[in-house]
Amino acid sequence: MAEAWIRGKAVALDAAIAEVVNLLSASRLPVIAGLGTDVAGVRAAIKLAQRVGGVIDHMHSEVLLRDLDVMREAGMMVTTPNEVRLRADFLLLVGPGLIEAWPALPDRLFAKRRIVWLCPGAAAKSANAYRNIAVVGDDPFDLPVMLAALRARCAGSPVANAPVALAAIDALVAELKKARFGVAVWSAAQYDSLTVEMLCGLVKDLNEGTRFSGLPLAAADNAPAVQQVTGWMTGFPLRTGFGRGLPEHDPWRFEASRLIDSGEADCVLWISAYGARLPTWKRDPPLVAITANPDTLRADVTIAVGRPGVDHNAVEHLAATATLTTVSAGKPSTAVSVASALGKITAALPESQPC
Amino acid sequence: MLTRLAGGRVIDPANGRDAVGDIFIRDGRIIDEPAGSAADETYNVSKKIVMAGAIDVHSHIAGNNETMGRLLLPEQRYPSDVFHPGHYPQPRGAWNTSETGCIYAAMGFTTVVEPAVLPHQALQAHLELADIPIIDKATLTVLGNDDFLLNLLHRGEGADAIRDYVAWTLATSRGLGIKVINAGGAAAFKDNLRMFSLDDEVPAYGISSRAIVKALQKAVQELQLPHPLHVHCNNLGIAGNVETALATIAAAEGLPLHLAHLQFYGYGKEGPRGFSSGGARLAEAVNAAKSVTVDVGQVMFGQTITISCDVLRQFNARNGARPKKWMICDGDSNGVGIVPYHYRVNDFFNAVQWAVGLELFLLTNDPWRVFFTTDHPNGAPFTAYPDILALLMDRNLRAEWMSRLPQEAIAVTTLASIRREYTLTDVAIMTRAAPAKLLGLKDRGHLGAGALADVAVYEPDSDKAKMFREAALVFKGGQLIVRDGSLLHYPFGRALNAHPARERAIERRMRDYYEERYGLSPDFMTVADAAIGRPDPFETIPCLN
Repeated sequence: MAEAWIRGKAVALDAAIAEVVNLLSASRLPVIAGLGTDVAGVRAAIKLAQRVGGVIDHMHSEVLLRDLDVMREAGMMVTTPNEVRLRADFLLLVGPGLIEAWPALPDRLFAKRRIVWLCPGAAAKSANAYRNIAVVGDDPFDLPVMLAALRARCAGSPVANAPVALAAIDALVAELKKARFGVAVWSAAQYDSLTVEMLCGLVKDLNEGTRFSGLPLAAADNAPAVQQVTGWMTGFPLRTGFGRGLPEHDPWRFEASRLIDSGEADCVLWISAYGARLPTWKRDPPLVAITANPDTLRADVTIAVGRPGVDHNAVEHLAATATLTTVSAGKPSTAVSVASALGKITAALPESQPC
Repeated sequence: MLTRLAGGRVIDPANGRDAVGDIFIRDGRIIDEPAGSAADETYNVSKKIVMAGAIDVHSHIAGNNETMGRLLLPEQRYPSDVFHPGHYPQPRGAWNTSETGCIYAAMGFTTVVEPAVLPHQALQAHLELADIPIIDKATLTVLGNDDFLLNLLHRGEGADAIRDYVAWTLATSRGLGIKVINAGGAAAFKDNLRMFSLDDEVPAYGISSRAIVKALQKAVQELQLPHPLHVHCNNLGIAGNVETALATIAAAEGLPLHLAHLQFYGYGKEGPRGFSSGGARLAEAVNAAKSVTVDVGQVMFGQTITISCDVLRQFNARNGARPKKWMICDGDSNGVGIVPYHYRVNDFFNAVQWAVGLELFLLTNDPWRVFFTTDHPNGAPFTAYPDILALLMDRNLRAEWMSRLPQEAIAVTTLASIRREYTLTDVAIMTRAAPAKLLGLKDRGHLGAGALADVAVYEPDSDKAKMFREAALVFKGGQLIVRDGSLLHYPFGRALNAHPARERAIERRMRDYYEERYGLSPDFMTVADAAIGRPDPFETIPCLN
């Protein structure tokens, strides 16, 4: 099976690497996008970005940044899935998309505790399948107001225009306050950061009397691990650029799709080892796809890589523990890893001048 | 290759040496002067000070908690301008793994202990450590708020079970030693307790904090771990907590115990603000308790961020956050609390804290038992070390600082009356010889034959902070790494860990426990060499005898 292509034509890996080096050498602002990869892959991507003065971004940065914005503007209280399993007597499920974000959620956390599902929307069917789950509210569109109403009633303030009867709000507030160790579960993929902030504010307020915490569900494509590695290696989260020789973080300036659409980026390295498809952009700069899913060969250079934890051992974020863990290859193969491909590219770059 | 450092003043307290002389290095080790062979390279270090590489026993440099801090406070920087020549595209002062290693190395530090690794997060801690260049590292594994241990104690199981569990956890997390952080306090906070002292009980388990500390102290001793139990006491940071520290010192009962960042427990309730220094009382108690070692956790003024597995304390500190944002994580065992903080020169409480730390340094009389830390980043970033050394070595400098602080704060301390000045020998003991002894690192912290050739050479200067900020030369394992404070190479060190013996039966028991309690295999915690991404990432330190 071919593992590399230049403009649709199968080539040896070395030839593809050489072509990537040509593209990067001609580039003034390369962007490393996608970044769906394991810890070794991110480390290699950051080293490459440092060498070429590029930008790093993840395909799910938008979602990561919703939680991160709340954390770095106000802070939050969170706990771990293990601790919820061990200790929580009350779960507040917030909005739709939770089981989609973590399919093992019901198996891991639904047993043995009282659960209220707030504005589940399409997830109402899932909620109704469990006898210990009560539903409050319906349309996810109501969530921001619902959370605001809960927070206001929690503080003893009057509310108007709540999406459900005030008695239902007050009954839920009483339950929240009565919980000994309650946990609110949310997925930032579903709503904006102001909604997350309202929820986190409610959790903080509840801790004036009892214990309550939050469980943010992780974005896909190993996004939490990528954010951690970027954090320790650069001091910043994703959307960080090295163009001036030092890492600079700016969620707007270093957004990959904006850089590509605006024409600022003049070379794109798309990395996707977990199967996410190559997106399309408004412009068409030289494109390198390092992907486990080479179903389209429209990139200038395509390098097929193995899947972390399937073709090769990998360190990844584990949803069940919210920690990094080692995943052994399920079906070991000789497919090249992202880290190996990027390492070869970095090694083949011409020596740069000291800056 | 034979390297000779010629004609420097060699200060090597571990070997009783303080004299002008030469140091010889071959194959990464210090050797005695070889008869009849000429050095391949000679560095003239006459009029310079030659010491072993420094060792930091307590600095939070890696792990999930630090990185959450980075994400919470992206504006935080190391106040540093270590120069990186060549195309090593690193910033000056970014709070990241590369800078951590480079700044430590430039100051002549070659081994640093990350003192708070939660067992479930050990892999990330070791991955981060592996990305810190130059220095060697070690970790302390945190126990004492974990459900398994608290259940063992609750059920009254014997010392054997606790010992095997401690050994298993240490091996799984690849730690060098064991730390306990507000023993039982994080677990009690999950049950909504807001205060927790040495003789308070964790509600769900009916076990006192003291019982947890004593059980772990015993296990560490029986396992003959190279480092004694490392204790973060209860009641950190609150007025009157000197009583807690004194009670904990007494609880050592003549056996080895290390108390971390003691400054944060040095507070009385006297004076017009109900907050005063207990530093003198605490120093007296440390002087008398010969089995106890302490590190100071000096506070210095400026912006920093407090990151602590003492979740209860951090929750109580949340409203003092500067800037006003904070994070609390109720973790699988301890968890973490992150509260940014700005120590201000015009703040009464901060000035008392600063003075208490210096009192502890200056009123304790045994530099072999008192260690040099800021509890980085909690009291100050480790980049403040040179300034602290200068304060210890110069009473006039202290007087100058005191003149700029609130006088009502200085008045509730004894600092103004203290005339002691640290000598270079005191510094060499406190930052080299003593830490090596405390951690059981026989080939570090000294310059005798057989020692690892980690060597720091300083240019004497009346400005002591300048002298210690930029070493003239630093060798790591015999390789020249730093010249005049600038980095020349970026090799990667290793993580030092201990492997005490244990009964095989504990493996089965832990498997059953994780399956029953979490529905998981404990394999998720494994820190395998191959996962670290660098060759030969670990070095095993033998247990005592």
